[in-house]
Amino acid sequence: MDLLNAIFVKPFADMVAAPDFLLQVLWEGLVAGVLYALIALGFVLIYKSSRIFNFAQGIMVVFAALTLIGFHEHGVPALLAVPLTLAVMFILAVAIERVVLRPLVNQPDIILFMATIGITLFLIGFGEIIFGGENKVMITEELLIPTGSYTFEPFGGFVSIEQKDLTAVVGAVVLVVVLLVFLNRSKMGRAIRALGDDHQAALSVGISLSTIWVLVWFIAGVIALATGIVWGARAGVSFALEVIAYKALPVLMLGGLESVSGAIIGGIAIGVLEKLFEIYWGQPLLGGNTETWFAFVLALIVLLFRPQGLFGERIIERV
Amino acid sequence: MTRLISRMLLAGSLFGGLTLAGQALAEDAINVTNLSYRTGPFAATGTPLMNGQRDYITMLNERDGGVGGAKLVYDECETGYNTEKGAECYEKTKTTSIVTQPWSTGITLQVLPKTNVDKVPILAPGYGFSPMADGKVFQWAFNPPASYWDGASMILKNISEGNLENLKGKKIVLLHLDAPYGKEPIPLLNAYAEKYGFTLLPIPVGLKEMQNQSAQWLQIRRERPDFVLMWGWGAMNAGALAEAAKTKFPMDKFVGIWWSGSDADLKTIGEAGKGYRSISWSFPVSDSKVMKDIKQLVVEAGHSMLPREEFDYVFYQRGVVISMFVVEGIKEAQAHFKTKAVNAEQLRWGLENLKLDEKRLKEIGMEGMVPPFSTSCGNHSGHSGAWMLQWDGAKFVKVSERLEADQGMIEPLVLEGAKKYAESNAPWPVNEECK
Repeated sequence: MDLLNAIFVKPFADMVAAPDFLLQVLWEGLVAGVLYALIALGFVLIYKSSRIFNFAQGIMVVFAALTLIGFHEHGVPALLAVPLTLAVMFILAVAIERVVLRPLVNQPDIILFMATIGITLFLIGFGEIIFGGENKVMITEELLIPTGSYTFEPFGGFVSIEQKDLTAVVGAVVLVVVLLVFLNRSKMGRAIRALGDDHQAALSVGISLSTIWVLVWFIAGVIALATGIVWGARAGVSFALEVIAYKALPVLMLGGLESVSGAIIGGIAIGVLEKLFEIYWGQPLLGGNTETWFAFVLALIVLLFRPQGLFGERIIERV
Repeated sequence: MTRLISRMLLAGSLFGGLTLAGQALAEDAINVTNLSYRTGPFAATGTPLMNGQRDYITMLNERDGGVGGAKLVYDECETGYNTEKGAECYEKTKTTSIVTQPWSTGITLQVLPKTNVDKVPILAPGYGFSPMADGKVFQWAFNPPASYWDGASMILKNISEGNLENLKGKKIVLLHLDAPYGKEPIPLLNAYAEKYGFTLLPIPVGLKEMQNQSAQWLQIRRERPDFVLMWGWGAMNAGALAEAAKTKFPMDKFVGIWWSGSDADLKTIGEAGKGYRSISWSFPVSDSKVMKDIKQLVVEAGHSMLPREEFDYVFYQRGVVISMFVVEGIKEAQAHFKTKAVNAEQLRWGLENLKLDEKRLKEIGMEGMVPPFSTSCGNHSGHSGAWMLQWDGAKFVKVSERLEADQGMIEPLVLEGAKKYAESNAPWPVNEECK
């Protein structure tokens, strides 16, 4: 009876008793969710255009953030360091296309996936030689990101919203809108989608595979830089940031690998639900740390009913 | 660019060191390999420590030609703080190195059962399994100068202002890495909670949550604890400090173990971390003789991998102290066995007979960098005591006299833990009479 009470009654009673705390939990979940969505977006874009599951997305986040800080450490003003970092990410995209992807055209998907593991290992080693393994401070203020906080007092309690979290959410929304407009309205964006639908048909109408691959890897680099800045502003930048890429896996399972909107909705859903579960059920009943597995269980449940994810394309194969 | 080239050259020289090691061994050289972690999620903690360890050995080779006439060969085997890789490194180096420095509680626990067979001493300064202090049971393992249980006891003593009865009715959160290391203080803290009537609430932080601890800090906000103790490692420390600052948790109620007191972590929040404390058995003394020699012969001579600004950091100079433990063990063994090239079994004897009193620390130019202590056959920890350090917004300062752990509370748990370990790993050789 106590257990049933702890599962079905107490959590909701706690939410009603401290609504300000519930709001704080929801806000923290939303922020985490937006950040998960950002990482997932990097995966989706590359998968959409090339059917490659980009294992290197996590290390690209670290590499982009460390490059930005590295430029600044060498005296480059922060606002100039951003375009320079983007230039580095563009060079990286060209190099990946030339050295890794082009020789592997027409190879099975698993080969391309393994190649991205190779890219990950290379970037870890190369990055550590250049930047070292130490934790670096993100140049938040230099990038004109506000670092204060807003405090509200709803229901007689308090809710604190960090300005940098708010900036992250607004920045992510802007990035996603720009991306959606680009994918749906621009010629290049349509070419990316065409390649995602059918490589050979796209090639037959004159779409250049290599140009598009460079473009999507560069866009993934832009997203990686945005992700690195907002995650780095929270707790510094180190190679530990790479592991956050794994948080995107359940988002992709939930939202579907091909869907931009799936990545966003899946990310936010997982961010909010895992936070609610951890605070109201996980910590009191299971000793906490449920965030390490909750999202995967949720994604598995979704997969039982929709193997392609909530927003993924249904694959129909004729035999 | 210069830094990049020097890093590449140093990485190359480390790699080259492995191949040259065999050659050097033939000429009265002593190999002391470190199972380092300069890569991966915990590199932020590991890198400055490894730099300190490496630079002390380099300095001795430059200044004295090694130790007691034998050149020291410092190699690193990279584990990335991964237990499986650590076990591989142990296997790879157990025949060449006279000591294993596993650098992770998980790796220590993994290789511990093998040491009786392989006869290689494990040196785990300030980490590992706390019952390793019982030298009668753990004949090949050493955790000087203090164990995690010593650390937990000293923190409680400090936050209770010397009277543990003051903790009655209080709530203490233990924010810990969800790994063997993070769970290590729980048995002792539970014993204290039971005896002194406070509530202990352990809150684990998983590897993937290290950089986003909002759930843990929401729980802390809900629970309103009187104190938060932290057993964090690598990126978890900076993550926790950032969240504490964000949630406006009073920093003077937030205390970390010695691995949660890195300047680099605190610099990520700077002024906002003012008041945070960390117990520490080492303290940086940059104008000590040893540090001056390192600066001149290693750092300024371009032999170090250290970023210059980190010379005064707690972790870098702790690395120096740790290598000193190995070297002092070698010196004791050289004198006792009247040999230059000490082997693993002889070093075991040396580590069991460390006598680092004030006089000796002064002689080697390390006065004030580590509290005096000595080890013995039955006491492989030394229980040196430690200082409480506090972040002043820019650096750590010493804010207490030397604290000492309550061995009355710790010893029964050490003996019980060691006995349990020996029984579950039977047949386990125990040196009851300490012969």
